[in-house]
Amino acid sequence: MKHDIRKVRNIGISAHIDSGKTTLTERILYYTNRIHAIHDVKGKDGVGATMDSMELEKERGITIASAATFCQWNNHEINIIDTPGHVDFTIEVERSLRVLDGAILVLCAVGGVQSQSITVDQQMKRYEVPCVAFVNKCDRSGANPLRVVAKLKEKLGHNAVAMQLPIGLEADFEGVIDLVKMKALYFDGDNGEKIREEPIPDHLVDDALEKREELLDAASMFSDDLMEAVLEEGDIDPELILSAVRAGTLTRQITPVFMGSAYKNKAVQPLLDAVVDLLPCPLDVKNEALDTSDDERPVVLEADESKPLVALAFKLEDGQYGQLTYLRVYQGKLAKGDTVINVRNGKKIKIGRVVRMHADQMEDIPAIYAGYIGALFGVDCASGDTFVSPGLSLTMTSMFVPEPVISLAIVPKDNKSQINMSKALNRFSKEDPTFRTYMDEETNETIIEGMGELHLEVYVERMRREYNAEVTTGQPRVAYRETITRRAEFNYTHKKQTGGAGQFGRIAGYLEPVTDEEFVFDNRITGGAIPTQFIPACEKGFRQCLAKGPMIEYPVTGVRVVIDDGAAHSVDSSEMAFQAAARGAFLEAYPKAAPVIHEPIMKVVVETPTEFQGAVMGSLNQRRGIIVGTQDEGVSCAIEAQVPLAEMFGYSTALRSLTQGKAQFTMEFAHYKQVPQSVAEELKKKKAEEKKHVA
Amino acid sequence: MLKKDLILRNPLRLLGAETDEVLPPGGFGAVVARAGVGKTALMVQLALNSLLRDRNVLHISLDDPVGKVTLWYEEVFRSLADQYDNAQINRLRDSILSHRFIMTFQVEGFSVPKLTERLTDLTEQGIFTPRMMLIDGLPFDEQVRPMLTELKELARQQDLHVWLSVRSHRHEEPGPEGLPAQLAAMADLFEAAIALQPEGKQIHIRALKGGSANMEKSQLFLDPSSMLIKKK
Repeated sequence: MKHDIRKVRNIGISAHIDSGKTTLTERILYYTNRIHAIHDVKGKDGVGATMDSMELEKERGITIASAATFCQWNNHEINIIDTPGHVDFTIEVERSLRVLDGAILVLCAVGGVQSQSITVDQQMKRYEVPCVAFVNKCDRSGANPLRVVAKLKEKLGHNAVAMQLPIGLEADFEGVIDLVKMKALYFDGDNGEKIREEPIPDHLVDDALEKREELLDAASMFSDDLMEAVLEEGDIDPELILSAVRAGTLTRQITPVFMGSAYKNKAVQPLLDAVVDLLPCPLDVKNEALDTSDDERPVVLEADESKPLVALAFKLEDGQYGQLTYLRVYQGKLAKGDTVINVRNGKKIKIGRVVRMHADQMEDIPAIYAGYIGALFGVDCASGDTFVSPGLSLTMTSMFVPEPVISLAIVPKDNKSQINMSKALNRFSKEDPTFRTYMDEETNETIIEGMGELHLEVYVERMRREYNAEVTTGQPRVAYRETITRRAEFNYTHKKQTGGAGQFGRIAGYLEPVTDEEFVFDNRITGGAIPTQFIPACEKGFRQCLAKGPMIEYPVTGVRVVIDDGAAHSVDSSEMAFQAAARGAFLEAYPKAAPVIHEPIMKVVVETPTEFQGAVMGSLNQRRGIIVGTQDEGVSCAIEAQVPLAEMFGYSTALRSLTQGKAQFTMEFAHYKQVPQSVAEELKKKKAEEKKHVA
Repeated sequence: MLKKDLILRNPLRLLGAETDEVLPPGGFGAVVARAGVGKTALMVQLALNSLLRDRNVLHISLDDPVGKVTLWYEEVFRSLADQYDNAQINRLRDSILSHRFIMTFQVEGFSVPKLTERLTDLTEQGIFTPRMMLIDGLPFDEQVRPMLTELKELARQQDLHVWLSVRSHRHEEPGPEGLPAQLAAMADLFEAAIALQPEGKQIHIRALKGGSANMEKSQLFLDPSSMLIKKK
C-alpha cells in the first residue's frame, strides 16, 4: 500500500431519510470506478444499490449498520463510512463519528433542513466533524438550493456559503456554475461521466458575480493573501480561494455548499473534488484516547506510524470466511504477524490477514498505517474494542455503557429459527453493547433489552432477514427499578430444627438508601457475632434479593446494607442458613424502608408545524409528560418534553394521525424518576394478577 | 423541609413584601440593566422564588433556545441549594419542574396575539395555567408601546404578574426617577422597576419604582461570581 497520509480522506455521508444518500454513494462509487454499472435504489433491474446491503434500511429509511467502502479520486484514497442518523443507535453513531474525519451533509433541495438533518448536525457539532453540504435533488419540482443555503444558516447556524449556482432548476436543471473557477459545468454521456466546461450563460453572469462576491467575502476571513488579492481586484488564483475555504471548513467556521442531482447524474464529480480539496486528512484532525490507567485522562494521538499502535474496531461483519473486523488505526501501524492487546479484556491477539474492502471485494495488504481504515480476519472481538501495542493502556471509547431501558420477550417459531436466533443474538450483542439478551428462568423466554422501541424492532427485523429466524415478540416491557427511600432496621433469625441437620443464623443491621451506587454491603460485625466465613454468604443472600424486588419483581437499586450484629450456632450454622437469614432480613426490612418504583424518563422533542402545536402538547400531557418548553421557529416549532417511556409506546402512530403525518419526534433516555402513587398501585396490581395467572 | 428553608433563606424576601406581590395582579415589573450585568439571572431567581411556592411560571425568552434557559435554572438552582444532599435536591427539582413552562420565540416573530393563542392552547387543555410571566429579551424600541398595552390587557384578564427585562445603555442619560430613557416613556404601564448597577466589584440591586419602604433601605447585591442575590 502506498501511503501518503495527506492523500487520505475518511468521510461520512449523513442525511435525512430519503434525501438520496444511497443514490449519491452509488454515483460516487461509479465515478471512482469501483462499480461499473449504476443500480437505482428502487431499481427495476432488481439488483438494488451497492451500498444498500440491508433491505431493512431501505424500508425504514434509516441506516443501521455503518459499513466502510474504499475508493479513489484524483490520486486520493477515500474511505466512505456510512453513519446511522437515528438516536436509538447512539453507540453506533458515536463510533462511526469517531472514525471519520469529515462529512458530506446531504440535504434535499425541496425539503431543506429537516428534523433529522438537525439531529445529524448536532452529532457532528458534538464531535467537531468538519463538513461540506450537498444540496441534492435539484431536478425535483419545488427545488430551491439557495433557500436551503439560507436555512442552513438560519436553522443550523452554519456559515453556509454557496460554492456553485444551479443552471436551471426542476425539470430544466442542466448543470452548475463553479463560482471558484467561474465556469459553467455540464454533465454529458449516459451516466454524466463527461464533464463539459463552458462560459457562464449570459443571463446568469450577474447572479454568479454576486454570489462569488459573497463567497470571497466569507473565504477571505481565513486568508490574508486572499484578502489582499480581493482588495487588488485582479484575477484571483482558484487555489487561493480553495485553500481559504478549506481553512474555514476545517475549523467548522464555513460550510461550503455544493448542489446537483445524484439521480440525474449531475454535479457529483465536483463534490468529489471538494472532498479532496476541502475536507481534512487524518493529520488535520486531533484524535484523543483515554488512559485507563489514569482515570480516563485524555491523551492526544499522533498519526505517526513509528509510534506504538492504537486502533479502534468500529464494525463487525459476518463474511463467508468468518468474522471480518473493520478498524481504524489512529497511531502506529498494524501489520500481519504483529501481536496486539485488546484493551477491553487484556487478551493478546496475533494478527493474521489484513485486508482492505472495496464495496464487496477485498484486497490483501501487508499493513494498515495510522490514519487508514482496513479490516482483519478471524479476530475475536466486539465492536468498539481498542487494540494497542503491548504496554499501552489507552482506549478509544469510554467504558461507560448506558443500561438498557426497555425489554422484549422473543420466541422462535420453530427449531431452525431457534438455532438461527441464537446465532443472531450472539452477533448483535457483540456488535452493540447497549443490546443485551438473557434467558428468563421462570418463563423460559429469551429476553432482549435495548435503548428504545425502534432499537429492538430493528434487531428483530434483522434476525428475520439476515438470519432467517422467524420470531414472535411479546409486549415491550419497561425496565422499572425499585428502590428504598428511608432507613429501616432488621433483626432476623433463621431457625429450622425439624428433621435432619438444623439451620441457624441471625442477622441484624439496617438498610438505607444510597445514591450513585446500585448496592453497597457494609460489614460492621465486631467480636465475631457472625463468624467471618459466613459474611460472604450474608452478602450473597442480600444480592439475591436485589435481582427481583419484592414489589413488582424488578431489580432493586440504590441500597446500602449494613450488618452490625448477629448470632451463629457451632453446629447448625452454615452458609446456606446465613443466605436464608439474609433473605429473611431483607424481606423484613424492605417494606419498612418506604420502597418506591422508578421508571425511565425520556427526553422527547417533537417538531411540528405550528398549527398542530396545541394538539401535540395535549398528546404529550396525556402521556404523563412534563412539557419543558416550546421553541417557535416561524412556521414550525419544537416542543421539548420529559415523558415516561412506558407511555411512549405507539407514539409515532398517534403523532402521525394527530398531525397529518407532518410532525416528527426524537426520543432519548434522560433519567430515572419515581412513578406516581396511582401508577405504582396499578403496576403492583398487574404483577399480582400475573402471578395469579401463572399459579 | 428543604423547600421552606430555601424560601426563608432567599434574600429576595428582603426586597420587602413577598416579591411577586410587589406587583398587583396584571402588574408589570421591569428588571433594568446594561448587557451582561445579570438580568436573566435575577429573573430566574424571581421565578424560582415563585416556583418554590408552587406558583406556575411561564418564562418567555426571545434570545435563547429552551436548552439554554433550562441551563440558567439548573445553575441558579444548584448554587442556591448547594449545601443540601443530592437526593433531596433532585426531588425538589422534579417537583418544581411541573410548575415551569418555557416558551421561546424569534424576536421578529413575537406578538401578543400569538402569545395569547399559545396561552389558550395551554390553559384550555388544562396543561398549564401561569401565575407569573417573565419576558426576557423584548427590545424596548419605539414600536414596543402598543405591544405592551396589549400585553397589559392580557395580564389583567389572566391575573398575571409580569416581569420584563429592559436593557439600558451606557451612553444614555437616565430619565426621571432614574428610569432609563426607553422605560421612562412607558413608566405609566409599570408598577415596579428594579435596576442592577455595577458599583466597583459589586452589582447593586436598586428599586427604581414600587416596592416597599423596606426595599429602599435594604442593601442587596448580586454576587458577580454566582449571580446570586446576597445581602451586604
